[in-house]
Amino acid sequence: MTELDTSAPVGVGKVDVAALVEPDRVHGSVYTSQEVYDQEMDRIFRNGWVFVAHDSEVPEPGDYVTRRIAGEPWIVVRGKDGEVRVLANRCTHRGNRLCNADAGNSSSFRCPYHGWTFSNDGHLTGVPMRDGYGSSFHEVRDAMGLAPAAAVDSYGGFVFASLNPPAITLREHLGNSTVALDRLLALSPTGELNLRAGWMKHDMRCNWKMVMENNVDGYHALFTHASVYDAVKPAKVSHVPSKVEVYVRDLGNGHSEIDYAKEYSRLDEEFIWFGRIRREKLPNYVAAMEEARGAEDTHRAFVVGPPHTLIFPNLFLAEMNIMTVEPLGPGRAIAYTTPALIPGADEVNEKTLRRSEGAMGPAGFLIADDGEIGARNQLGLAAGSPEWVVLRRGEESDITDETGIVNHDKSAETPQRGWWKHWSQVLTGTTTAPDA
Amino acid sequence: MSDLTSLGAAAAAPAGAVPAAGVDPALASFIYTEARLADEARYSEWEALWDDDAKYWVPMHPDHDPKVNVSYIYDNRRRIRSRIAQLNSGNRHSQTPPSVLRRLITNLEVVAQDADTTTVAGNFVIYEYRFDLTVWAGRYEYRIRARGGDLKLAAKTVHLVNAGGPVSTMSFLV
Repeated sequence: MTELDTSAPVGVGKVDVAALVEPDRVHGSVYTSQEVYDQEMDRIFRNGWVFVAHDSEVPEPGDYVTRRIAGEPWIVVRGKDGEVRVLANRCTHRGNRLCNADAGNSSSFRCPYHGWTFSNDGHLTGVPMRDGYGSSFHEVRDAMGLAPAAAVDSYGGFVFASLNPPAITLREHLGNSTVALDRLLALSPTGELNLRAGWMKHDMRCNWKMVMENNVDGYHALFTHASVYDAVKPAKVSHVPSKVEVYVRDLGNGHSEIDYAKEYSRLDEEFIWFGRIRREKLPNYVAAMEEARGAEDTHRAFVVGPPHTLIFPNLFLAEMNIMTVEPLGPGRAIAYTTPALIPGADEVNEKTLRRSEGAMGPAGFLIADDGEIGARNQLGLAAGSPEWVVLRRGEESDITDETGIVNHDKSAETPQRGWWKHWSQVLTGTTTAPDA
Repeated sequence: MSDLTSLGAAAAAPAGAVPAAGVDPALASFIYTEARLADEARYSEWEALWDDDAKYWVPMHPDHDPKVNVSYIYDNRRRIRSRIAQLNSGNRHSQTPPSVLRRLITNLEVVAQDADTTTVAGNFVIYEYRFDLTVWAGRYEYRIRARGGDLKLAAKTVHLVNAGGPVSTMSFLV
């Protein structure tokens, strides 16, 4: 045991999660308790919509990627019918993990243990030495296809699954967050993205919720990332809330964001979010955008830029990066990050790749320090006193409008309050209908 | 997404590689100096080893192409300067205080040579102590250039055995 093993002892009996979340504070054990974690894996990750992959990772029939959800191995595979399925990566015979590559293309999966073969739509197609099953063979074969996720659906190429039957549709779950997905897709002339540059896999020694909450924390940047702004380059716009019109927003259903659109629009300057590059440097991309979308919409897309939006529970639209988080226990998570590339826009993509490496991942100028702060957060929470984590910033200045609950102070903890409200409803089973 | 097939896939030395006995002691000495400066967080001295066309690369797979794939690190000279400025700021939290580091470099071979540049490859193990002990391992490839009476580092590639991930926070000089 090292000091990073901070998981609290498993309590006796079922933790009453409802008692751990109040509108403006949460009990520290939500980050450290194994029992809370087990309930999360069950309620959030096995019984709700989670992001699993992007269409562009499996563009052709037979293309697959392997993923884990709540510790369980899954294959995301496009069948020859073009449909993307999410199948349990477990031979139905004796439980061997069937597919052992990160990604590939195959019409079938053959178990190396006893040679059982499954087509990539999940049907059991081959059982060596079938006579051993006697007269029950056909019954065995028909009943033993790969277990599929109960529901798979996508929005704008982002594929989500619900392992057990979901209470609501994906569209209902996504609610107001589709505006953010649309905002990202509006930067692509075809409305498509390419997420094939590879996923950085960052081993984070903190609770998975810290990774997600921090992504929409407008308060920390001046301090956690002071080294970047002091020693490398100034922030794209000021991080001092009173100097900018940067908003935070609780979109409902646990989704939330930091929204720069108003500030960028006020300045009416293109690409503030992309190193303030001049459009003359991206002639082919600009031409493709203007041809597809017209000059006015193109200008608008270049001004407002990509979203900075968290989609509950495991997807973060990190401007020109996509991040997803995989919980590994109360004090451990993997953050997966890949740049959002634009098909055909090579002159943009190479810059996006370099910007991604600069900011994100285990050696990134930003996220390495977020990981460190997360680990220290976990260490601090090992102290039992005070018991509560306080989320009261901006509580009195929250405004409710048609987009959600908005705060004009980017340092307000509005996104975190929204996250916890939804988290509590999901864990206590009090949300079966969209709350937005 | 961790994967058995991505373990230890660092680039193989081409046929005709010249092993340790053939590595010029001045090149080996340069490599060990670079390692010691990195281990001891002597950031500005480490930065001074680099040539103007520097490339400091930590790929996620040996076959990846930086034009289409994202890397853990793909620094040119300008970004190396920024990386060092951040480390020197005192507020790079993930290296404040710096990790305690010691690395071993072995199996050095000369894998390519032209008029002024020698490519040397070797294996490494790094012991990093921060919250606990983390062991890093892999293969280094250095392009070292003779300039004036000096040696300069033109490129350093780091093929981690666990490049397939997950990878712990790696904000020290790897």
